[in-house]
Amino acid sequence: MELSLGTLGSAASALALGLAVYALIAGIAGSVRRDARLQTSARLTAVAVFLATTTAVIVMQAALLTDDFSVKYVAEHSRIDSPIWVKVVTLWAALEGSVLLWAWLLTGYTAVLAVATPNHALRAWALVVMQGVQVFFLGVVALVANPFIVLANPPFDGPGANPLLQNHWMMAVHPVLMYLGFVGLTVPFAFAMAALITRRPGTEWMQLTRRWTLAGWGFLTAAIISGGWWSYEVLGWGGYWAWDPVENVSFMPWLTATAFIHSVQVQERRRMLKSWNVLLIVLTFSLTILGTFLTRSGVVSSVHAFGDGPVGPVFLGFFVLVTLLSLGLVAWRWDQVRDRAELDAAVSREGAFLLVNVLFLALTFMVLIGTLFPLIVEAVNGARVTVGAPFFDVVSLPMWMLVLLLMGIGPLLPWRKAETQTLARNLGWMTGGFALAAGGALIFGLREIYPVLTIGLAGWNLVSLGLLLAGAVVPRARLTGRGLAATTMRYAFEQRRKVGSMVVHLGVIVVALGIAASSGYRTDVQMRLPYGEPVTFNQYELQALAPFSERGAGRVSVGVEVAVFQDGRQVDLLRPHINAFGNNSMTVPTAAVRYTLGHDLYLSVAGAVDPTADSVIIRVIQSPLVTWIWFGAVILALGTVWTLVPARSPGAATVPAGATGRAQA
Amino acid sequence: MSRFYRTGVLAGVAALLLGVALAQDIVLDPRVFEIGNELRCPTCVAESVGESNASIAREMRQIIQEQLDEGRTRAEILAFFQDRYGDWILLSPPRRGVLLLVWLVPIAALLVAAGGLVLMVRRWRAAADAVVPVAGEDLARVRAALAGTEADAPTSDAPAPAPRP
Amino acid sequence: MKRVAVVVAIVGGLTALFLFGLLRGAPDRNVPSNLLNRQVPGFDLPVYERYLAEYGPRLDLADHAGRPMVINFWASWCGPCYAEAPHLEAAQRRYGEEVLFIGIQTQERDARAAGRAFIDRFDFTFPNVIDDDSRVSIAYGLFGVPETFFVRADGTLAYKHVGPVDAEVLTERVEALLR
Repeated sequence: MELSLGTLGSAASALALGLAVYALIAGIAGSVRRDARLQTSARLTAVAVFLATTTAVIVMQAALLTDDFSVKYVAEHSRIDSPIWVKVVTLWAALEGSVLLWAWLLTGYTAVLAVATPNHALRAWALVVMQGVQVFFLGVVALVANPFIVLANPPFDGPGANPLLQNHWMMAVHPVLMYLGFVGLTVPFAFAMAALITRRPGTEWMQLTRRWTLAGWGFLTAAIISGGWWSYEVLGWGGYWAWDPVENVSFMPWLTATAFIHSVQVQERRRMLKSWNVLLIVLTFSLTILGTFLTRSGVVSSVHAFGDGPVGPVFLGFFVLVTLLSLGLVAWRWDQVRDRAELDAAVSREGAFLLVNVLFLALTFMVLIGTLFPLIVEAVNGARVTVGAPFFDVVSLPMWMLVLLLMGIGPLLPWRKAETQTLARNLGWMTGGFALAAGGALIFGLREIYPVLTIGLAGWNLVSLGLLLAGAVVPRARLTGRGLAATTMRYAFEQRRKVGSMVVHLGVIVVALGIAASSGYRTDVQMRLPYGEPVTFNQYELQALAPFSERGAGRVSVGVEVAVFQDGRQVDLLRPHINAFGNNSMTVPTAAVRYTLGHDLYLSVAGAVDPTADSVIIRVIQSPLVTWIWFGAVILALGTVWTLVPARSPGAATVPAGATGRAQA
Repeated sequence: MSRFYRTGVLAGVAALLLGVALAQDIVLDPRVFEIGNELRCPTCVAESVGESNASIAREMRQIIQEQLDEGRTRAEILAFFQDRYGDWILLSPPRRGVLLLVWLVPIAALLVAAGGLVLMVRRWRAAADAVVPVAGEDLARVRAALAGTEADAPTSDAPAPAPRP
Repeated sequence: MKRVAVVVAIVGGLTALFLFGLLRGAPDRNVPSNLLNRQVPGFDLPVYERYLAEYGPRLDLADHAGRPMVINFWASWCGPCYAEAPHLEAAQRRYGEEVLFIGIQTQERDARAAGRAFIDRFDFTFPNVIDDDSRVSIAYGLFGVPETFFVRADGTLAYKHVGPVDAEVLTERVEALLR
C-alpha cells in the first residue's frame, strides 16, 4: 500500500481509536482496582490519543489544501478553485469531517483533563467516561464514516462545498463554537457519572467542573446566537431563527444546561436539588447525542441536516446506550442523590431556582414534542403534518415572559425565606419599573401584547439589577468610606460570580428586546426599483443604480447596486446579489444589510437581475433593534468571561459584605 | 487568460439569469409574507413560503397576493392551499383529530409541571416544619441545662424556651 | 422499580420511534395526495405546436371527460424526467386508445425552446401542454417533478406517483384504471 494522505489519515484515526480503547480499558481497570500505574497510563494515553487525532486533522487539512482528490472526503466536498479559507472550513462542511472535528475537540478536552487538572478522586472515573465517549466518536471516524478512504480513480475536480456554507465567513466560527459547547458540557456529565460511581454525590463534582460547565454553556450560547446571525445574513428572508429541527436540537441542551447552571447553586448552598442536578446534566448530554443523531440521520427534514446512511443507526445506538447507562447509574445510586429536601419557604431563592428548573424543563419538553411530532404522527397513522415556527412561537412565548419575570425577582430573593417587608419594597420598585416601561411603550403607540410585555419586563429587570447593585455597593461604600464608583469597581472585581451573572442577565434583556422588536414590528415588502428612480420606503429612499457582476475565487456574483438616501443625502450603498459557486447549479441570494442601532435595512434580490430590464425586484425588510440581539450576545459573552476569570485577591471573594469594618488591603 | 475569464463570467451571468429568471415580477405587500410564513414551501427541505426563494414559493406568494387583492381572508387562503396539499402544507398543524395532541400535550405538561411543583413545595415545606421527635430523657436533660443557665441569668418573665425542632 | 420502568418505557418508546424514522427513509417527497378519490382539478393550457392539428391551440381537461387519464408533470431541468420519458411514451403506444396520456411542463417559465427539445427528443405522441405560471401544479399539490397522476374515467384520482415512473408502475396502475 503506497503512502498517500488517505492511508496516512486512516492510519492516524485507527491509531487514535486503538489508543482510546486501550485508555478506556486501562482507565476502568485502574479505577476499579485503584491501581495508580494503570490510571497514569490511561492519562498519558489520552494525550497520545489527542496527538493521533491531531495528526488525522492535519492530514485532512493537507489533503484539502493540496487538492488531493484521492481522498474520498476531498473528492466529494472540495473544489480546486475554492478560496483557501473555504478549503479549510470544508473540514467540517460535511458529515465525516464534522465528526472528525468533534472527535478532535473531545480528545483535546480529555487530554487537558488528564494531565492539566489537579488529581482528585473523581478524576479517574470522569476520564473513563470521557474516553468512552471518545471511543465512540473515533470509532465513527475510523470505522463507520471514514473520510480518508482512498479512491482508486480520483476525479480531476470536485463539486465543492455546499454553496450555503461557502457564502459567509461565519462557517468558520459557528460549527466550532457549537462543538466546543457540546464537548465542554460533556465534562460535567463525566464528573457527575464519576460522582455516582464513586458514591460521592455531593457538591464536589459540580464545584470541580464549574468553570468547564460555564465555558461550555458560554460557547453553546455563542454558537446558537452566531448561527442566528449567519442565517440572518445568508438565507435572504431577514430572519434569524426558524424553529428548524436541527436548530431545536441544539437549543434543547442549552435550555437544560441553563437550568443546570442555576440549579447547582442550590446544591452548593443548601445541599438540595441533588437529584435534579444529576438528572439535568444527564439530560443535557443525552439531548446533545440525540441532537447529533437527528442532524445526521435524515430522520427529520431540515435545512441544516446533512447526511444519512450507516451513521444514523450508529448514533441512535449510542444515544440509547448513553441514556440507559446514565439513567441506570442514577437509579442504582438513587439513595444517595435522592433529595432529603426541606424548604423553609416557597418564596425564597431556592423556590425561585426550583421554578427555573420547572420552566426550562417545560420549555425543553415543548420543543421536543414539537420537533418529534411529525414523526410521531407518521408512525401512528401515516399522516404527514408539519410543525413549524407558528406552533413554537405560540407555546413558548408565554414561558419566555415567565422566565423574564423570574429573572428579575429571583436574584433579589434571599435564601431560606424572604422577609416580607423587603420583598414588598423590592416588588414595589420593580412593578414601578414595569409600569413605567410598559406605559411608555403604550404611549409610544405599541399595541402588540408580547412586545409591550417584554418592554415592561425589561423595566422590571433593569430595576431589579439596580436594586441588586445598589444593595451590594451602597453599604460597602458606607463602610469603607470610598466613593460609589470606586466601590462598584472593587465589588465588580471581587464578586466575579455575582457581577458576572448580573451582566449576563443584562445581556439577556437586551437580546429579548431585540427579538421582541424585530419580530413584532418588521416591515417586509417586495418592490420594483426602476433604475435611476428613487422609491420611498419608510424613512428611506431607495434608488437602484445599476446591475453588476463580478467574479471571485470559485464564485460568480450577479447583483444590483442600490443607493440609500435619508433626508435627501446618501447614507449607504448596498449591493444585494446572487452567488453561484463552481459548477453547482444552486444559487445563493446574498442580502445586503445596513446595520444601525435602531433598525436594520435589509435588501435581497428577488427574481432575476436582467441587465436589459429597466427595473429590478428587491425584497426590502426593515426590522427594528436586530443589532440589539448581537450586542446582547456580546454582553452575555463578556459576563460569562467575567464569571470565569478568577477573583483578584484569593480570599476577598469569600468575605461577605459588611463583615469587617476595615477595608481590604 | 483574461478573455477566458471574461467568457466565463458572461457564461456565469447567463446561467444565473436563466437559472433565476423564474419569478413573476410583481410587487408584494407585507401581508403576503405574513401568510407565506404560515405555509410550507412544497419543494424545499424545510422552509416557509415566506422565506424561500424557490420558484414555486415565489409563485405561491404571487397567488397569495392575487387572492388578497380579490378580498380573500387569511383563513380562506390557507384553506385554499390546504385543500390541494393536505395538512402538511400548514406550518401550524390544524387543531383536529390526533393533531390536537401537539397543542394539548404542552398545555398538559405545563399543568402537570405546575401541579408537581406545588406538591413538591408542599412536601418540602412540611419536611421543614416537621417536628423532629426527641427522646424523653434528652428533652429532660435539655430542660435541666436550660434551667441551670437560667438560674445565673437575670430574671425575665419569659418561660424557658421550648426546644426548637 | 416503578421509576426504572418509566425510564425504560420512555427510552424504549423513543428508540422505537427513531427506528421507524430510520427505516422509512428520507421524508418529504412521498406525501400522499390530498386529491385521492376526489375530482382532479380541471385546466385549460396551451398546447405545443406538434399537437395543434389534433388537439387545437389549447387543451381543456373537461373536453376529455369520461376517459381514464395519466397526467405527467415534468420540467426540462429535471433529471429523473429524462429517465422516465421513454417509459411514458411506450405506455402511450400500448394503451393510448383507451387511456389519455397528457404531459404538463411546469415549474419553469419561458422555456418553450427547452420544452420543445425535450418533447422532440423522446418523440412524445401524446399531447404536452405548458403550465407557464405553475398554477396547475399548485392546484394538483405538486411537491416536485416528476409526479404522475392516474385518473379514473369518472375523473377521480386513483393514484399519484412521486418521482420517475417505470414500466412496472405504469403497467400496474394503468391496468387498474382500465378495470
